[in-house]
Amino acid sequence: MAETTTRDTILAAIRQGKPDLHPLPETIGFAPTITPENLVEAFMAMVKTNGGQAIRVTSLSEAHAFLVQEYDLTLPILSHVPGLDISNFTPAAELRLLDDLHLVVLEGKVGVAENAAIWLDEAAIGIRALPFISLNLSLVLSEKNLVGNMHEAYRLIDTHTGFGTFIAGPSKTADIEQSLVIGAHGSKTLTVFLLP
Amino acid sequence: MDTASPRHAKAAEAFLRDEENADWHNETLWFVRSKRDRAAQSLPEWEDLREQASQIKLHSLSKLDDYLIQLEENARQNGVIVHWAANADEHNRIVLDIMRKHKATKIVKSKSMLTEECHLNPYLIKEGIEVIDTDLGERIIQLRNEPPSHIVMPAIHLKKRHIGDLFHLHLGTDAGADDPQYLTEAARIHLRQKFLLADVAITGVNFAIAETGGFVVCTNEGNADLGAHLAKVHIACMGIEKVIPKAEHLGVFLRLLARSATGQATTTYSSHFRKPAPGQEMHLVLVDNGRTRQLASPDFRNSLKCIRCGACMNTCPVYRRSGGHSYHTAVAGPIGSILAPNIDMKEYADLPFASTLCGSCTNVCPVKIDIHQQLYKWRQVLGEAGAVEPTKKIGMTGMDVLFSHPRLYRFAGRAGRWFMQKFPSLANKSSLNPWAIHRDMPKPPAQSFRDWYAQQNQKDNG
Ligand code: SF4
Repeated sequence: MAETTTRDTILAAIRQGKPDLHPLPETIGFAPTITPENLVEAFMAMVKTNGGQAIRVTSLSEAHAFLVQEYDLTLPILSHVPGLDISNFTPAAELRLLDDLHLVVLEGKVGVAENAAIWLDEAAIGIRALPFISLNLSLVLSEKNLVGNMHEAYRLIDTHTGFGTFIAGPSKTADIEQSLVIGAHGSKTLTVFLLP
Repeated sequence: MDTASPRHAKAAEAFLRDEENADWHNETLWFVRSKRDRAAQSLPEWEDLREQASQIKLHSLSKLDDYLIQLEENARQNGVIVHWAANADEHNRIVLDIMRKHKATKIVKSKSMLTEECHLNPYLIKEGIEVIDTDLGERIIQLRNEPPSHIVMPAIHLKKRHIGDLFHLHLGTDAGADDPQYLTEAARIHLRQKFLLADVAITGVNFAIAETGGFVVCTNEGNADLGAHLAKVHIACMGIEKVIPKAEHLGVFLRLLARSATGQATTTYSSHFRKPAPGQEMHLVLVDNGRTRQLASPDFRNSLKCIRCGACMNTCPVYRRSGGHSYHTAVAGPIGSILAPNIDMKEYADLPFASTLCGSCTNVCPVKIDIHQQLYKWRQVLGEAGAVEPTKKIGMTGMDVLFSHPRLYRFAGRAGRWFMQKFPSLANKSSLNPWAIHRDMPKPPAQSFRDWYAQQNQKDNG
């Protein structure tokens, strides 16, 4: 009962004190300044700026070959990308066991060239903690799904799922004397594979 | 009402005593401000983007009741438990009740200025709950028993040797080791254990969306996500001003936030929470704590547009040279100096004076808050309420008299120039002129602009 009262008091105070109706701008957002032919280049440059690496591949098997070369496949690895079958780890109900994960591979839905943010939705992630708890993260993304800026991205993504996130690089911090350190709590590396 | 003590000035004096550290603070924040400038210049539409953000926020405030109801309804439908808190006490009690219901004793927090504002940590600790701040900067100052000195860079007042000593004491790192990479790794290992064992996670909210009933949390470290996804219960706490109408509006704000804050194109993680994961529980706490009062004041309601990027602090010549702690409030710097007197006019009467009114804060603010004008207005409100310390009041009254009497103003100018030419050392003497502490007074011009202008006119006409 107490909470209902608080709610009503707050809402009443807002009604009493709020300014007159102020209209929303007629159009929201701006056209991208990155031209379609420069999307890939701009995106890849931003991945690097953000501390990750971007690799252009022609097929999933090329990405697969790269991962085999780069990572120790005897360590716990989990891929949720259909066609990229390098999983050797079955997650149990106990989320804490995910702490062992060496590498997680997921599929990005949309990539934004102006900041290299990659959208992952709940279906692609599966267990929400995966991209954050794994030591290394790899994302697979089609060049067809690159857009120029965030306004375009929001037109394409579904914000009505349970969870979704933009990831732009490995985890980082500059809290100690402003020195940039890659690998705070989340993944220490990010590798993005760009498919045609 | 008693007059306020000049706490900011005294604390700033103490901060400036370590000259090397003070210089570093000043230069580092200016460097962050320069990165912000470069990031802003990389977008040709930057100014229009600020204008759009400002309009969207103003619109949201003008329909705040509707949007909060819409947010609440949609969140409930998504399975989120929604709470309302009138003030800090209520907010803290709601959090504690949730902890008790789950018999929880361990909580991990990602940085949230709202919980700082509500003094949640000491409240929970007194109730026997382990509270761990997980943002690296927050953890550092938590181990030092200090509040944050900056809303985006909480430990910006510390050098790496301080942190090295601290971690040696608490985390067992090597004595004398101060390499940021090494220290961050030690913190990572220490905090991983906390994430894995926590019962409950608390996060702040950067933006809540009425249309979807969801909310967005932005971090670079990934701590909000690790906490929220691993704990059985996620409590998100937000000020009621954080709600925006639609998801498409996020495009505007997310382009502005990180660029204004650190000069990055975006934060590493911008996570959109909407429904609890299977087997988990999600709470959303909507907090007033003075915000409806601020909304009802036409002079100050604009401050509720703030997206907490910290740009106004990084650019502020006073903040950079006085350190965040000198503001003795959760949110320091220019925006904090507007928000704090609304919560306690007497306690924070000194803060609107901790500004040169140069307008730099207003120029960088991504949502176009008229920050320096609001600070100026606060000075008048506080003066009228008798909350201003006597020396400042005399100066202000003197200025009021001068500005409203042009002839007297002209005479005073001439007299001032004469005085400074004849007795420069007296004008520089800090006991007579507090402005001259840490400053040399400029050489006075031989002639005032007004006199020069009159002469030019005569020449032209003659
Ligand atoms: S007042 Fe403006 S510049 Fe300052 S923190 Fe808020 S949004 Fe950023």
